[in-house]
Amino acid sequence: MTTQGVDGPHPSQEQGWSRYLPRFNILLVLPAQLTMMVVVVVPTLIILWLAITDWQPTQAIAWFKAEPIWFWNFYDLWYDSRFTNAVLRTLFVVAVCVSIELGLALGLALLFLDEWPWRRVAVSVIILPMMIIPVDAANAFFMLFNERGPINHLVSLVIGSPYEFSWLSHPTWAMAPIMLAEIWQWTPLMFLLVLTGLMNLPQNQVRAAIVLGASPARIFFKIMLPLLLPVISIALLIRSIETFKIFDPVYILTRGQPGGATETISMFMYNGAFVYFRMGYIAAAALLVLVVVISICLVLARPMTRHG
Amino acid sequence: MNENPLWVTILKRTAVVVSMIIAFFPIYWLIATSFKPYDQWASWPPVWLTDAPTLQNYRIVFFPEAAREFATAQQGSLDYKVSGSAWKAFQDSAIISTFATFFSVMFGTLAAYSIVRFRTGGENYPFQFLTVRMMPPIAVVVPIVALFSILRLSDTYFGLVLAYTAFTLPFSIWMIRSFIEEVPLELEGAAMVHGMSQFRAFLTITLPLIKGGVLATALFIFILNWSEFLFALVLTAGNVITVTLQVANYVSASSGKLYGVQAAMGTISTLPVILFGYVIQRHLVRGLTFGAIKR
Repeated sequence: MTTQGVDGPHPSQEQGWSRYLPRFNILLVLPAQLTMMVVVVVPTLIILWLAITDWQPTQAIAWFKAEPIWFWNFYDLWYDSRFTNAVLRTLFVVAVCVSIELGLALGLALLFLDEWPWRRVAVSVIILPMMIIPVDAANAFFMLFNERGPINHLVSLVIGSPYEFSWLSHPTWAMAPIMLAEIWQWTPLMFLLVLTGLMNLPQNQVRAAIVLGASPARIFFKIMLPLLLPVISIALLIRSIETFKIFDPVYILTRGQPGGATETISMFMYNGAFVYFRMGYIAAAALLVLVVVISICLVLARPMTRHG
Repeated sequence: MNENPLWVTILKRTAVVVSMIIAFFPIYWLIATSFKPYDQWASWPPVWLTDAPTLQNYRIVFFPEAAREFATAQQGSLDYKVSGSAWKAFQDSAIISTFATFFSVMFGTLAAYSIVRFRTGGENYPFQFLTVRMMPPIAVVVPIVALFSILRLSDTYFGLVLAYTAFTLPFSIWMIRSFIEEVPLELEGAAMVHGMSQFRAFLTITLPLIKGGVLATALFIFILNWSEFLFALVLTAGNVITVTLQVANYVSASSGKLYGVQAAMGTISTLPVILFGYVIQRHLVRGLTFGAIKR
C-alpha cells in the first residue's frame, strides 16, 4: 500500500489571509472528522461520565446532573450473571457462526472453480441472502421456526407424527434459529470473499501440482489453503467483528427471551437501557465493551490491511 | 481439473442445487406468505403454496382503510399498529438514506483524497475511522440518546442522518481511498504542470476516472442506511419512521405478529436493496472488506 504523496498544499494556499485557515488537506478531512466528533468521540466521553452514575431517565434528572456512584456499576456488572452470560453467549455465537460460515464457504467455493453453464446464475442465487434487509431475513426465520412453520412440518413429515416444538421459547434451543439466520445470511459473503481469493490465486503452482500428479486434497491443503490465508484471515476478522455486534435477528426472533436466555451483548444492553431504563449501568457495560473491542481491533487491524 | 469422472460432476452440481434451494427458501417463504389470506398465515399444517392468493396484505400495508376493514373483520380492536400507512416509512427512509448517503460519500471522498494524496494525519489516521465500524453501535447509543436529548435531535430526520453518516463514513473513506489509489498520481501531476491547482486536477482528472467506484460506494452505503435498524429503533419515537421499523411494527397485542402483512412489507422494502445489490455485485467484496480485497 505505497502512495506517493505530494508534499504540502499548493503554494497559493499559503499566501495572504488564507494562511490563517487550517492547511488545505486538514480542511478536506474536516467534515468527516467533525461528524465523527459529534457522533462518536463526544458520546464516548459522555459514556465515561454516565458509567460512574446511576442515571435513569425515569428519575426526571438530566443526565449531566446525575449523582455519581463511582465504581459500583462495574462491581454490579462483575456479579451480574445476565451480563457475563451475555458476553459468553456472544463469544460462543461468534465462534460457532463464523467457523461454520467459513467451512460452508470453502466447500461452496470449491464447487465453483471450473466453468460450467449457469455458473453465474447459481452464484447470483447463492448470494441472494446477503442482499436482503437483516430485519426481513430474521422475520423469514421467525416464520420458518414458528410452532406451525415449515421446519416443524418437515420434521413431522419425517417422524410421521405432528411436531409442534416452539423453538423460540425454549431456553436452550431458541439460540439455534438466531444463529441459523445469521449463518444463512452471511455465509454468502464469506463465499464471495473465498471465491474471489481462489479466482485470484496464481494458477501456475496449481497447474504444476496437477501435472506432477498431486491429489486434489493435497493440492487444496498444501497449495491453495496457504495462498488463501490472507483472504481467509480478513474474512474471519470482518465476520467476527460483525457477528459480535449481532442485534437485528435477536431482537426480531426473541428479544433476548425467554428470561434472558438468548441475550447477546447488544441485546442485553438494549434491554437494560430501553426496557429497564438503567442508562448509567449500561453505560458502564458499554465502556467495558468499547475498551476491549477497540484494543483488540487496534492489534488485529494492522496486519489486515497489509495484504492489500 | 476437468478430468473429473461423471459421478463427481453430478455430485458437485447436486450440491450446488441444494445450496441454491437453501439460499432461496426463506425468501420464498417470505414472498409466499405475503400472498396468503389471514387464515393461512399460521395454520397447521403450514400452507406451502396458497391456493387462494390475495393482495389483501399489500393493501393493508398501503391503505389505512384496508387495515381498519381487516381489523373489523377479525373482530380485533384497532390496537394494530397497522393503522398508519407504510408510505410514510418509505418516504422517511428515502429521505434519510439519500441525505446520509450523500453526506457520507461527499465527506468520504474529500477525506480519502486528503489521506491518499497528502497522507493527512499519518499512517494511523485512517484506522481511527475503522475503529468506529468495529465498536458495537449499541455501546454508543446510550450516550447518543443523552446527547441528542440536549441537542433536540432525537426523533428528527437530521439526528438519524447524522448517525448514519458517521457510521458509514468508514466504508466510504476506505472504499473510495482504494479507488483513488488505483489512479496514478502522474495524471494529476501532468495537469498541474499545465497550471491547474492540485484540487482542481483531482476534480477534473481523477474524479471522473473513479466515478464508477464512487457511484458503487454510494449505492453500497444507501443499502446499509436503508437496512439499518438499531439506530432507527432507539433514536425515534413515532415522528420519524423507517421501513425496518415499519416491518417490526406489524405486531398486535391481541393476535401476535401479523405474518402476512409483515411479509408483504418485508418483500416490498427489501426489493430496492436487492436491486442495488446486484447492480454493484462486482464491488460488494471491496465494500464489505473496506477495500482490502479487490476483484
